[in-house]
Amino acid sequence: MRRKFRVALLATVATLVAGAASAQDLIAKDRVGPADAPKTLSFRLTGDGPGNTLPDIAEGYQKLFVDFIQKHPGWQIKLERMSDNIGQEQARMLEQTKSGTGPDCAAVDSFVLALFMNAGVLKPLNEYFTQAEIDDLFPFVREGITGKDGKIYAWWWDTDLRVLYRNKDIVADAPQTWDELKAAAIASKDKGMEGVLVNGGRWEGTTFDWLANFWAQGGKLVDDSGKPIFAEGENREKFLKAVNYFKDLVDSGAAPKRIATIVNYDEFNAAAAAGSTALFIGGNWQLAQLKSTLEPEEFAKWTFSAIPGPTKDQRSTGTGGWTIGAFSSDPEKVAMCAGIAKEIYSGAGNALQQQLPTSKALFDKYDVFKSDANKAFAAALVDGQARPGVPIYPEISNQIQVMMGDVLTGAKTPEAALDAANAAVQAAYARL
Amino acid sequence: MTMTGAAVAGGRGEIARTSLRRRIESHPFSWLLPVALLLGVFYLYPIIDVFRLAFTNASLRGGEEHYTVDSIRALIANPILLDILWTTFVFTAGSVIGQQLFGLGIAVLVMRGERRRLYGMTALRTLVLVAWVIPGIANGLIWQMLFSEAPFGAINSVLRMMHVQPVAWLSDPNIAMVSSIISNVWRGTAFSMIVFYAALKAIDTTLYEAASVDGANGWQRFRFITLPQMRPAILVNSILITIATLNTFDAIISLTGGGPGRATEVLSLYTFNTVFRNLDLAGGSVLSVLMLVISLVLAVGYASMMPRREANE
Repeated sequence: MRRKFRVALLATVATLVAGAASAQDLIAKDRVGPADAPKTLSFRLTGDGPGNTLPDIAEGYQKLFVDFIQKHPGWQIKLERMSDNIGQEQARMLEQTKSGTGPDCAAVDSFVLALFMNAGVLKPLNEYFTQAEIDDLFPFVREGITGKDGKIYAWWWDTDLRVLYRNKDIVADAPQTWDELKAAAIASKDKGMEGVLVNGGRWEGTTFDWLANFWAQGGKLVDDSGKPIFAEGENREKFLKAVNYFKDLVDSGAAPKRIATIVNYDEFNAAAAAGSTALFIGGNWQLAQLKSTLEPEEFAKWTFSAIPGPTKDQRSTGTGGWTIGAFSSDPEKVAMCAGIAKEIYSGAGNALQQQLPTSKALFDKYDVFKSDANKAFAAALVDGQARPGVPIYPEISNQIQVMMGDVLTGAKTPEAALDAANAAVQAAYARL
Repeated sequence: MTMTGAAVAGGRGEIARTSLRRRIESHPFSWLLPVALLLGVFYLYPIIDVFRLAFTNASLRGGEEHYTVDSIRALIANPILLDILWTTFVFTAGSVIGQQLFGLGIAVLVMRGERRRLYGMTALRTLVLVAWVIPGIANGLIWQMLFSEAPFGAINSVLRMMHVQPVAWLSDPNIAMVSSIISNVWRGTAFSMIVFYAALKAIDTTLYEAASVDGANGWQRFRFITLPQMRPAILVNSILITIATLNTFDAIISLTGGGPGRATEVLSLYTFNTVFRNLDLAGGSVLSVLMLVISLVLAVGYASMMPRREANE
């Protein structure tokens, strides 16, 4: 009996060791699956994957990728990690895919997805997702991935949004309007704070975060044909009103002048950790970062609410996120790519990283999204607005960044800065 | 083989080698071919392609590519270009003057220290060189932390401790340019120091001895011996670091991103933004050609100042 038990134990241990070794063989820094697998899929990805800098997340993704590749024998996935310079990476990938040297499958930032779709380099993914799955996507997500022919050209698997973070000890009540935020920020200075912090430097975050104030008034950057109209008629008034709001925050001292230099959400975390601000507009993912950065008793003081609007009823927030698209002409590779989007990222990946899913069904499926914070983020997605998926958007964004710097530093009046931005955008549009 | 036979064979070998050398010298194409191929593939072809793209409507967005002069026309008509060129001029002039002055100052200091056999001169030289080997991006990030206007920013915290008003290092458009120049000077000074140090070493010490005998003071020795003797080094160094500064964009993109507004957006950064943000490949190519022309003019100036080989050499 004892001998039988020993043999069984030995066999179990041997199996476990062999299994672990086999799983380890299936994943390397730049590969998932056996190195000698006959079929190869190149997959270009961000930090959302087995190479994540956080060990828990990296381990979670390694397991998801190994499970996936075990279901697809004969395949290996070559991992190509993008650098953190996402804008440059995406531009380079667009050039490569156009010339046929890009990856088979890749992570595409939602705000440049339209560029890839218009360039005709993405393959349709409809046959890999049910109509019910597509219909369940949030409207801004579904619209974002749908081409002019009605087909979906990527799978948008996670989203994010911007909210107003505040230290409850210093700002007890959530500011609902622009005026309330200004008053709260000025009041916080009496308690040694530097006022409200927002992005204002030369980077995409500045445009994206500020656009919520323009969208909240019903402003439109482009018309249905994709032509820039932000400086025309009512849009011009709304645009100037939103620019003047930020200018007033700086001129009144409610926001420090240094916001014109902020080009990273991490600056807000640093300020929160240093106890130098009680208010900032940041991304939903920063809640987890604050939790890991601050002492528990300090973190308990922080909460978030919807971004204030010109009135209580006029609200908006920018929503972004990542998609996965297929560039290969090989149907088998397209199917593998869709599989990665569906089986690794959409749902399991969301839950692993606590990144907001793009459909209601997935919010309901995973317990992590039933927390009060994630429920509040999901509710705020109702006001969510994605950046227009048009080819001229990157130039509009670039000009808004320049304009914001000029206005916040007093180098130009809002009107002059808007006119300069519009002239540059229209010139670029004429050359499209 | 007899001695005579060996000598004859050796003589034949020598003749064969001389003949081969003559043939190579009279037909340089064959031995220049490998390096010409290398330069052609990795340097010339990209330049030719940039010229070609400048005469197209090429864009990273897609669409049909055709030849046109619209991209050149658009650049000339672009009202921003003059601002960008002015910003580039200010940044380059400030950096070149700063690097020369500090480079010369440190080189003279090191020379004097060595003459007096002071300890630590090698350490000083090494210390200055450390800044030079730091990559541009890292340089920008280091200075971004130093210039940070947050309450915990390094330099402003020191100023506050000294009861001095904090400075808007990066948020004031004028001061942001000064900050960018400071960071570039910090990084580039070492190169000037090396050039000037070598030039100082080459000055004949008897000139200083003669000047001392004539009663020249320190300033007069520097003014009438050191500076005139270093003139070629100063000129060549000026052109080399001007070209290097013109091409600097990594340190600026990580320090200011070109902002606030366009306050620190130099030509190289504007070119980068045109291609990678506006996705305008043709526009970026036109700007690259413009940068190439400016650098070429400076390079020709550099070549004209190089000592020429005498005809009979």
